[in-house]
Amino acid sequence: MSKQESGFKVISVLVLIAFFAAALLAYVNKITREPIARNMKEETKQAVRIVLQNLGQFDYPDDPLDKSLTEFTARYFTAKNASGQIVGYAIIVKAPNGFGGDFDLMVGIDSTGKVLDTYVLNHKETPGLGDNMKKEDFKKQFRGRSLANTRWAVKKDGGDIDALTAATITSRAFTAGVKRALTVFNVLNEEAKQ
Amino acid sequence: MNIKEKAIKSFFMENPVTGLLLGLCPTLATTTSAENGIGMGLATTFVLLSSNVVVSLLRNVIPNRVRIPAYIVVIATFVTIVDMSMQATLYQLHKTLGLFIPLIVVNCIILGRAEAFASKNTVWHSFLDGLFMGLGFTFSLFILGSVREILGSGAWLGIRLIPESWNTILVFVLAPGAFLSLGFILIGMERLSRLFERGK
Repeated sequence: MSKQESGFKVISVLVLIAFFAAALLAYVNKITREPIARNMKEETKQAVRIVLQNLGQFDYPDDPLDKSLTEFTARYFTAKNASGQIVGYAIIVKAPNGFGGDFDLMVGIDSTGKVLDTYVLNHKETPGLGDNMKKEDFKKQFRGRSLANTRWAVKKDGGDIDALTAATITSRAFTAGVKRALTVFNVLNEEAKQ
Repeated sequence: MNIKEKAIKSFFMENPVTGLLLGLCPTLATTTSAENGIGMGLATTFVLLSSNVVVSLLRNVIPNRVRIPAYIVVIATFVTIVDMSMQATLYQLHKTLGLFIPLIVVNCIILGRAEAFASKNTVWHSFLDGLFMGLGFTFSLFILGSVREILGSGAWLGIRLIPESWNTILVFVLAPGAFLSLGFILIGMERLSRLFERGK
């Protein structure tokens, strides 16, 4: 340290650096904001297409609608066929208490209340263990299940669902998530009938 | 400074991970697969390169007393740029690495190179230093990620090597596997570095 700089110089240099940094970030934020929003939307749309693919062509709104129940809230897309009849729902719920916290799960449900397919939107489950929930081997057992025809718990807890090897907590959260989606479906279905 | 010598040095003897043992938090946390390793490595390389160049440019302007805060502002700016542009272009990769990108700010390799190298050398040399150090970091993350992915998931760069129903050594995907693999890689790199030194 050769000489002691004046306080004024020290402050002005720091302020200048911070100013340029802020200006640069504002610019980058401006050009990336739209692609980021588009990516998120695109992924959700992609997920809707996957979980409802068995229903064929249909119309659904661009943005999901909100549905609040007493215990949790969900978002959903309504799929309608050409004549405007409701053929199914894609319901986004939080799967509660996974190994890495809650995670977002989309469940496709047809108009009779049967699960079509599931899609995990984002999660922090352990790679190689919990994230096997995205694999076909685990997902296929949920297809065709409804609230009435299934005991919604993993086999260890006396239910009908085969848990993932070494990822029981993730499987419980996933099962509870699908059950939540079916509960939301029942509410939506009742409302649609009225 | 000889570029070839500098390159060999940053990959082996002075490799940030296996030589200097710096930045181990992102190293251990993100290398569950080879792809994640490369992604994290390249993100860090970009930040290292840019911050080295800017710190070197400003080395006569930044007052000595506040150099560390100044470096941190510069580094944090580039990390945020990487974070936002990754989210805009490589959305899937960002979903797996997202949590760790902001942590590049406190990666000691970057502050270490700014303080130890860029603040004392010309822009061109700092650029090379950032580039090679970053690539060295990427290289070791790639090796570590490959070992863990092959042993832990039975795949490499997402390509399955064994049938999905076979059991793999799961522990390698988890945190203890990261430490184990790193230990063995350190032994291997130490041997290699000695070979290079003897060859000189």
